[in-house]
Amino acid sequence: MPYLGGEETVRELRRALSNPNVQSDPLRYRNTILKVIRTMSQGVDVSGLFSEMVKACATVDVVQKKLVYVFLCSYATLNPELSLLVINTLRKDCQDPNPMVRSLALRNMTNLRLPSLVEYVEQPLTAGLRDRAACVRRVAVLGWAKLHNLQPSSEIDAAVVNELYSLLRDPDPVVMVNCLRALEEILKEEGGVTINKPITHHLLNRLKECDIWGQCEVLRVLQRYRPQSEDELFDILSLLDSFLVSPHPPVMAATLSLFLSVSSNLPAISLAALERVSGPLLAACGSGSREMRFAAVCHIQLLLRSVPGLLGTHYKRFFCGYAEPAYIKERKMQVLVELVNDENVAMILDELKGYCTDVNTDTAQAAISAIGRIGRSYSDRCLQILTGLLGLKQDHITSAVVQTMRDLVWVCPQCSDTVCLALEGCEETLQDIQGRQALLWLLGVYGERISSAPYTLEVLIDRVRSEASLGIKMELLTATMRLFLCRPAETQDMLGRLLHYCIEEETDMCVRDQALLYYRLLHCGIEKTREVLQGRRSDPSLGVLIGRPAKPVSQWARCFNTLEPLSQGAVEAESNSRGSPEHVTYSPKPNADLSDTLSCSHIEEVHSGAEKIEEVDCAWIEECVRCPAVLHCSPQSLQAAMQLVNIQTLAFTPQHMLPWRVYLYTHTQLRVSEDGQEEEEGIKVILNQQPKDDDALRQFLTILITVLNTLSSKKD
Amino acid sequence: MIHSLFLINHLGDIFLEKHWKSVISRSVCDYFFEAREKAVDPENVPPVLQTPHHYLISIYRGKLFFLSVIQTEVPPLFVIEFLHRVADTFQDYFGGCSESVISDNVVIVYELLEEMLDNGFPLATESNVLKEMIRPPNILRSVVNTLTGGSNVGETLPQGQLSNIPWRRAGVKYTNNEAYFDVTEEIDAIVDKSGTTVSAEIQGVIEACVKLSGMPDLTMSFMNPRLLDDVSFHPCVRFRRWESERILSFIPPDGNFTLMTYHISSQNLVAIPVYVKQSISFFEAGSCGRLDITIGPKQTMGKTVEDLKVTVHMPKAVLNANLTASQGNYTYDFTTKLLVWDIGKLNPQKLPNLRGSLSMQTGVPNPEENPSLNIDLKIQQLAISGLKVSRLDMYGETYKPFKGVKYVTKAGKFQVRT
Repeated sequence: MPYLGGEETVRELRRALSNPNVQSDPLRYRNTILKVIRTMSQGVDVSGLFSEMVKACATVDVVQKKLVYVFLCSYATLNPELSLLVINTLRKDCQDPNPMVRSLALRNMTNLRLPSLVEYVEQPLTAGLRDRAACVRRVAVLGWAKLHNLQPSSEIDAAVVNELYSLLRDPDPVVMVNCLRALEEILKEEGGVTINKPITHHLLNRLKECDIWGQCEVLRVLQRYRPQSEDELFDILSLLDSFLVSPHPPVMAATLSLFLSVSSNLPAISLAALERVSGPLLAACGSGSREMRFAAVCHIQLLLRSVPGLLGTHYKRFFCGYAEPAYIKERKMQVLVELVNDENVAMILDELKGYCTDVNTDTAQAAISAIGRIGRSYSDRCLQILTGLLGLKQDHITSAVVQTMRDLVWVCPQCSDTVCLALEGCEETLQDIQGRQALLWLLGVYGERISSAPYTLEVLIDRVRSEASLGIKMELLTATMRLFLCRPAETQDMLGRLLHYCIEEETDMCVRDQALLYYRLLHCGIEKTREVLQGRRSDPSLGVLIGRPAKPVSQWARCFNTLEPLSQGAVEAESNSRGSPEHVTYSPKPNADLSDTLSCSHIEEVHSGAEKIEEVDCAWIEECVRCPAVLHCSPQSLQAAMQLVNIQTLAFTPQHMLPWRVYLYTHTQLRVSEDGQEEEEGIKVILNQQPKDDDALRQFLTILITVLNTLSSKKD
Repeated sequence: MIHSLFLINHLGDIFLEKHWKSVISRSVCDYFFEAREKAVDPENVPPVLQTPHHYLISIYRGKLFFLSVIQTEVPPLFVIEFLHRVADTFQDYFGGCSESVISDNVVIVYELLEEMLDNGFPLATESNVLKEMIRPPNILRSVVNTLTGGSNVGETLPQGQLSNIPWRRAGVKYTNNEAYFDVTEEIDAIVDKSGTTVSAEIQGVIEACVKLSGMPDLTMSFMNPRLLDDVSFHPCVRFRRWESERILSFIPPDGNFTLMTYHISSQNLVAIPVYVKQSISFFEAGSCGRLDITIGPKQTMGKTVEDLKVTVHMPKAVLNANLTASQGNYTYDFTTKLLVWDIGKLNPQKLPNLRGSLSMQTGVPNPEENPSLNIDLKIQQLAISGLKVSRLDMYGETYKPFKGVKYVTKAGKFQVRT
């Protein structure tokens, strides 16, 4: 709408502006200019009025000046020649006795952003640095940064840089902070402003005088400083202590960031700082602004990585309100999952159950998958809730529940009985692709225990012609093959039909190739097929360790108080809830790039990696380590010992089983995951490393052997 | 740091833009509109979006999006806080923060944005300082200005910027010296079906209106300062004094300002002033439902509950409501599915009750979720946490000021689940 009738308006405005009667009446003149600005803000192109506006600039009325400057700054780049006319007025204004007019002129002179005008601007800017009014100095200092941006190639005079450095000691705190900002921009090539001991101490001492924006800026710049001695470090930290509990979240976050960066090699201090900051962060989680709440919750997620138990008692603060936006609810649920412990699990599950029926489907599905995550430690209660949800017969809920069950069954095979019972009859409500895929996978793997499995598949096979999704067809093929292996009598006929359709009529290459592969596989005999299709399943006796291991602070310290936690967590959650890469690896697709899938997998997927040892020896290296003494220490002490050298124990088989197996994982700059098989006379270590690095591998093995040796010698 | 700012109304029209560095084309907002489209509800648009060349950080206030465009990595809390400060300033200047208000005052908005940010860095954000540089509009002044040709721009440099106390201007003079304080507490609570409190906290704020001549130095002490553990002060408050003696000592800014805000989050301290007995049910057959809500006083400390109002977001399937209210009146807007019951004063002898039937769309499955009730209320002359100001003293000046403290409790996000 605003774009209509633009030309007519511009013509009218021009007539009014050049009317001498209007020009002689200051009030009418100003109102006309006001109209120009209004039209401009509506998106109409009024650049044609440039020359008239330049004339209007020569006035004593400050308001009119301001208005004209707003106009000129927006259109100067289109009319560089005409802008030259303004410079004269601006330079005259720089001599005005009123500091307000001086700063206004100076600011707008630099805001014109015309390279051709630089030579006229430099002199007033230099004078501005020495002005007696602080507000002029503030503008002048930043003006130099703007000049530099205008011509990044040309060097700013060294004398100016020196002057800026000396202005860091200006009595006005804003001038000081602006100097920092300007120097950061001008000296970007050299890595920003030099932070040495005198400058640091000067800045720290004046931190109290700055406004909160200034404090954030100073704290950010100081992150580059490395204290020379421990005493100095502690002096700095105690000075900053009060800022750590600042009621302004930006200041608090900036201070913590600085704390973490200067005390990076003193983990105890970092942890103490995290504890101290948890109060203000929690307060920010209850802030009135939802964006602030969101940012605070995201940062709490970071904190929890290192101190999982930090906020266990405050879990109620992460309960979602009815009217909260979906993105906050999703994050809060992720935090709740982290905070679960024996005392609060009932409360949290009750609360999450309430969210499962949320109007917003995304929130509902996130809640369901959160329950699934808790199910890894408290499977009975969670399965009860999930089964109950199936009774609602809502398609988005059923889909999420089936997907969650699939993920859960993979980690906790002991749940499979309940899941199999629950699955009956839910195929009617399932609509979306992912949900049906999950159902197919479950039917294939647990087909022998679900009585209706062949009939469900048969319906789908009859409809395969009208099926549009590639994923469903592939999953259907695999599921039918698997079911055939355990219930051949009921499935043989439909498998034949499906293979026939996929090979003869299907146009998609992937599906056709897979069907061909299965067909040929069947030719090789039933035993071979079984070997390929039913690779080892996750071991039901495998005890999964509860709780996530604490990661070192340094791992995330760098991204604290940046945009990363706000966006990255979402991606992580995505891959956790929806993607489920382990199942992709599991179905033996000839075209799947296995090593790629493995490299992007997270800790949980190491299990699935372990399944594939036989098939993917390219990714796994086998090493035999001779250990002099036979190990019969308790798994707990082994886990504790491994933790000391930053190796995480993921899971181990019960103690009496032979061969006794333990799954380890570690993360250096490189990623090494390891699966050790202990036998009577030594240990066989099977390793997977991404990317490959022999040095790190050798070091890892040495560490491992040392740990094992120490443990066994202690035993003796 | 902050490159550009776009103001966007809830329909998705950009009605104001301001660039502090080079001009960025409006097309950058397309990424935002895409996310806005996907989120369905404007409240659900994620505050941080990443585009190939920029980050977009936005806040949603009063049906407006404040969208900032950023080119480099920045502390997100910083930008969000700043955007809220911009919105607060508009609110403060124009008494509202809607599209029409901003479009009416577009010139002042430009002036303010120019002063608040230079080259992308925050410059002057303290409302007292801004008000001296750019005077807020009011009807009288605009009449005077049209007659005399005066302007909204202060001709002199703000004194505060050079004085030792940046928040107070020098040479203040009043004939009536007065200092008023409003203690306002909002209860944020979630109460579940059975009436137990799921979570509850109090957000308190002390607003001050101080019109005192010269340089007064005030001290305010509380009867029970131990209540307050999570506080945030106006920069004028001497923090040391608070930490050691639990006394607020300060030289106040001139005029209206927020002296302090506080949270009380430990649940045993939070009193819930009313209880709600409700039953909302939807029947499988006959496509109708029943609704019965009664409200009664719980912990009101002997004060009357006023301005009581219940808002229910009904499920989509509810077509109409046929109810009778024993007190007050109700409205049901069937496009927004909002049932509002305006009760007014709560009479403990005769509890207000709303009951009747709901007519539902036929053929639609029953809503699986019962709606939750949002309660609004007000209690005069009471701070529900029990906070009380015991005395206010003035030093540094000789005259005798007129002092007053007012308490009020309101419901914030007060929600009852069904």
